[in-house]
Amino acid sequence: MTKNLKYGLILLTICAISAFALAMTNSITAPVIAQHDYEARQLALTAVSNGYAIGTEAAVEGDQYVTYTIDLSENGKVVGYIVGLKGSGYGGELTLVASYKTSGELMFAQLLTNSETPGLGAKAADVAYMTKFQGTGADKPIPTNKSMLSDADSQAVSGASITFGAVARSLEAGSEYVKTLGGVK
Amino acid sequence: MSKMKELSKGLFKDNPIFVLMLGLCPVLGVSTQVSNAIGMSAGVMFVLLFSNMIISALRKFIPASIHIPAYIVVIASLVSFIQMVMHAFVPAVYASLGVYLPLIVVNCIILGRAEAFASKNTVVDSILDAIGMSVGFALGLTLLATIRELFGSGTITLFPMGSFSGVINIPWFYDNPIRVFSLAPGALLIMGLLKAFFDWNSSRKKDR
Repeated sequence: MTKNLKYGLILLTICAISAFALAMTNSITAPVIAQHDYEARQLALTAVSNGYAIGTEAAVEGDQYVTYTIDLSENGKVVGYIVGLKGSGYGGELTLVASYKTSGELMFAQLLTNSETPGLGAKAADVAYMTKFQGTGADKPIPTNKSMLSDADSQAVSGASITFGAVARSLEAGSEYVKTLGGVK
Repeated sequence: MSKMKELSKGLFKDNPIFVLMLGLCPVLGVSTQVSNAIGMSAGVMFVLLFSNMIISALRKFIPASIHIPAYIVVIASLVSFIQMVMHAFVPAVYASLGVYLPLIVVNCIILGRAEAFASKNTVVDSILDAIGMSVGFALGLTLLATIRELFGSGTITLFPMGSFSGVINIPWFYDNPIRVFSLAPGALLIMGLLKAFFDWNSSRKKDR
């Protein structure tokens, strides 16, 4: 009994010191991380906006892929939308931000967060990765499997099919969602 | 064993990757790019150094029957610490390491050295062991990543600095990549060849 109590106290001491040290570290790093995340999101929104005026964010509840939308306008007319998207990749949830014309045509997309395998699925965070989807969603369907891609694009996603599928399905869902919104406000 | 041998054994004789075969999961996973290998090596180096140091200092305080949970708490805390610091101050490296950074907690090299060495030796010897082992890990991982990236993509990816994008395109290899080297079979193939080389080198030394 005494021995077990002693063991418990030793473990408690180690855990308490560790927790205190981590709490101190977190208090220093958390604001820096939050600032990075905010800046990354703002940069991503500006990058996908195609030069249009960015409106205010409207949260979307209960959709499997779409988390929020933001109007893109020109001379007071809504010409497109930025859509916040989420998908399920190989390493867990990934989040994207994508801009569409009101027709559902994808203009730009960027991966915001992911836990994909470095060197394979994580390549989806590269700017060049999303070019294969640009201009699709209205007249041309968004490529959701590798057979719809050119040989070069298909090779670029080889070894990371689950990530490609997650990104493609999210972008397709965003396009379908935008088509339901229309362009006149 | 002399201090010098303690330090150098991890480089070749007891190299953690090619001789002890420890921590192979993250090694095979992150060795697709040189920058990933360098980032992972830095994380392992920090955690191994401090875990060896702390566990060696506490070896008389931690009873044998609870040593595993105690070591895991120490190692997990160090990994959480480096995760928060990397996320805040080197977000690009943090993003590129992805899931492999938290997996350092269960990296066999860390727990293996804590159990086999730090728990039985002085703080100074444990520090030397950690430096030798982590440098051996870094050299092995970087070598594997260099070969895989060179043949698989024709590039060497380092860290962007100023006008330097961080990616060096290697002539000929860049135009003629052998994609399998970037994929899992390529990792196992190169790993096997390097393991064979280390075994051959070690048996050659024994025969002398």
